[in-house]
Amino acid sequence: MPEITSASGTGAMPETAFAAEGAPMSDRSFSVLGVFETPDALMKAIPKVRAAKLGTVEAYTPYAIHGIEEALGLRKSPLGGMVLVMGIIGALTALGFQYWISAIDYPIITGGKGAGSWEAFIPIMFEVTVLFATFTAGLGMLHLLNKLPFFGHPVLSSKSIKGITRDRYVLAVEAEDEAFDSAGAAMALRAAGAIEVEALPAPDRSPFLTSDNILRALGGIFVACLVAGLAMYFATKWFPLLKPMANMQDQPRLNAQKPSSFFKDGHGMQQPVAGTVARGHLPTATGTQDEAASLVNPLPRTKEVFALGKKVYTNRCEVCHGAVGTGVGSLTAAYGAKPANLQAQQFLDYPDGKIYWAVVNGKNAMPSHAPYLSEQERWAVVHYVRALQRAQNAKDEDLKVATR
Amino acid sequence: MKLDAATSAGDIPEGLLEPALTVGKVTPGSLDDQVLAFPETKPPRRWYIALAITLTAALIGVVSIGYTFYLGIGAWGNTSPVFWAFDIINFVFWVGIGHAGTLISAILFLFRKRWRNAIARFAEAMTIFAVICAVIFPLIHVGRPWLAYWLFPYPNQRALWTNFRSPLLWDVFAVNTYFSVSLMFWYLGLIPDIASMRDRTTSKLRKLLYTVLAMGWRGAAAHWQHYEKAYLLLAGLATGLVLSVHSVVSFDFATSVVPGWHMTIFPPYFVAGAIFAGFAMVVMVLVVVRETMELKNLITDRHLDVMNKVILAMSCIMGYSYLMEGFTAWYSMNEYLHHGFMNIITGTYGWAGWVTISCNILIPQILWFKKARASYFWMILVAIGVTIGMWFERFVIIVISLHQDFLPSAWRIYKPTIVDFGVLLGTFGIFFTLVLLFARVLPVIATTEVKAILPDAQPSHHGDDHHA
Repeated sequence: MPEITSASGTGAMPETAFAAEGAPMSDRSFSVLGVFETPDALMKAIPKVRAAKLGTVEAYTPYAIHGIEEALGLRKSPLGGMVLVMGIIGALTALGFQYWISAIDYPIITGGKGAGSWEAFIPIMFEVTVLFATFTAGLGMLHLLNKLPFFGHPVLSSKSIKGITRDRYVLAVEAEDEAFDSAGAAMALRAAGAIEVEALPAPDRSPFLTSDNILRALGGIFVACLVAGLAMYFATKWFPLLKPMANMQDQPRLNAQKPSSFFKDGHGMQQPVAGTVARGHLPTATGTQDEAASLVNPLPRTKEVFALGKKVYTNRCEVCHGAVGTGVGSLTAAYGAKPANLQAQQFLDYPDGKIYWAVVNGKNAMPSHAPYLSEQERWAVVHYVRALQRAQNAKDEDLKVATR
Repeated sequence: MKLDAATSAGDIPEGLLEPALTVGKVTPGSLDDQVLAFPETKPPRRWYIALAITLTAALIGVVSIGYTFYLGIGAWGNTSPVFWAFDIINFVFWVGIGHAGTLISAILFLFRKRWRNAIARFAEAMTIFAVICAVIFPLIHVGRPWLAYWLFPYPNQRALWTNFRSPLLWDVFAVNTYFSVSLMFWYLGLIPDIASMRDRTTSKLRKLLYTVLAMGWRGAAAHWQHYEKAYLLLAGLATGLVLSVHSVVSFDFATSVVPGWHMTIFPPYFVAGAIFAGFAMVVMVLVVVRETMELKNLITDRHLDVMNKVILAMSCIMGYSYLMEGFTAWYSMNEYLHHGFMNIITGTYGWAGWVTISCNILIPQILWFKKARASYFWMILVAIGVTIGMWFERFVIIVISLHQDFLPSAWRIYKPTIVDFGVLLGTFGIFFTLVLLFARVLPVIATTEVKAILPDAQPSHHGDDHHA
């Protein structure tokens, strides 16, 4: 690498002295860098170096120096206009997208507002505006204006880059054409006060990973996404049987009028195994009423059992047998039947089992109540009938028991 | 920064001149050696201990979230009528924490508050991490998070579109935009700093990492010109954005008819609360950072003083908002609003209402005293108090308003489960894990921005024709 360094910071070195250092400049130099120690020195040097008109003058600094753009004669950044335009495009995109979806493609009335009422679109319009504007500002600055990422710039492999990103201020004279006078540029920089001068050779090959190539790749990906999205949209619209993501649409289940694929006999609903008993429905006393006479009520005589029995009696028995079991229920007249008077001597003499048998199997016009009542409820209502009978035929001792 | 130079010494009266932004002698080179060398040193033992703690918390969160996926939302305490509970509280809480970063990086930049330069980087990083924690909650609250992409309007075989009149969809756009913009803002600010680290590191791995991340930044004046412009534009855009994001979050509540939610004060009230909570978190973390990383000369006592003043001002705005809530309830002559407001101070969850009021309004008043603003004890106490208080504020808004709605037969007391707490703890773990990693890998102070405001950083002779 042809390179010129100078120990003196005066910059007043004559041309002969420079040549005597014997650094043969490559005829294809890219640029010459001059290093300065303070921003003031850099700013003072800029007009002098520019006046020499040896090439494009560029500065490299660790942070933004105020006023340097005027000194270097840089064009005003067009970023503001770009961001404004893209922001407006973002707003219109959001408005158009929401309007097309909500009013045209899938019109839906929400909250009594018309499908095309646009006021509710404002928040998303704002967000999309900011999104477009931000990405324009950020990526536009990086990629479009600054051409980054770019890892092949000669300055990045210069000796001065360590200073540039730390605390040195570098002025560069960059070649505009083949006739670049690098020795002259080094001279001019030194004359302007550079403490060090470094010549950079032109890169021998153009790097591949340039921002343009990256932009092309990104553009290709974007177009591919767009094409894929549109293809997907119209494919699913025109060919509705296509199911790219049929998450829960195909389920093994029994369809009406179709055999089941699960059971061998093709029936979806199977008969229970012979002898199956439903929970809480154990087989009840069959046979004759006399055979049932020996059954003993398994339930204790407690408040809860009587409460349950009362509830069952009220729901199932009272309508025919009457509130106190005298056989005068509200249905009796309309029904035309003669329900048993449970207070009759015949029934007072019945053992519990016989009453239970009647509840389970029904008697005369009375139907079986077994399907509606659990085993517990059947015996509970037997207790309750016994209580009704005792209440209607109360003796003095009973009164004592009741008021004790 | 270009704009900062407007405050040159000549045209400002002596008394209004800003005091120095750094303590002691700081040069661009010493700044790099102090801040950029830090990631290359070996982490101290206490860093590993802290990381172990935060990773454990994060792991508890991962397990809790995994259990939620396994069992469903039933793993949480949410039930009729409180269908929004910890998940939405935490979402609003974390989004709010992020707002301080954007405020510092964007709004204070527009106001030419040069002290922001030293703390902007850290605050912006906290924004990113807080928003990451925040987005977890809506995602897991949808119940089947693997279908969360249904939130986006994309062409699909169901021929359905999203409902653009729903504030919940506005939220999707607002939070996603907020995250993208914050990330862009943060990354752009980092590029010149990463370039500095690229050029000073000796480790090959770091060199590769920083080379890729810096995108070949070389500090050209033409680049700086566009860069400054982009930064200014981003600051302007982010300012509007940060005000909109929490406004949109508040629309989730304000556009419904639930008593206690349906109020016009909600958007500004939410934004102020978000900045309030965010500043508290920034103070808490910065105090630890400046002590452990020895950055007292860059993050000065004055920074803490100013940030505590912001907390105090926000606390007063919150107090006003609470009073306005009460006033609205009273002035509306609406018995549902009366009931809702009385619930906050006397109901089953009345204790939560009082925690909110004491932590957010009463405790921060100590910051009126200059001594309290300079004392670690008081500022940490206030910051922790505000963090707790702002969490409970969202609890008050969401749970108290929901648990007694218009239908008394549906009223129910909400009780969070241990899984709820696990997920909350987990997000704290994730947040602080990211903070710890950030502090070891990237420059915690925007060195480029601080260099630009050091004494003699800008040329002294050009000002006449420049800033007219």
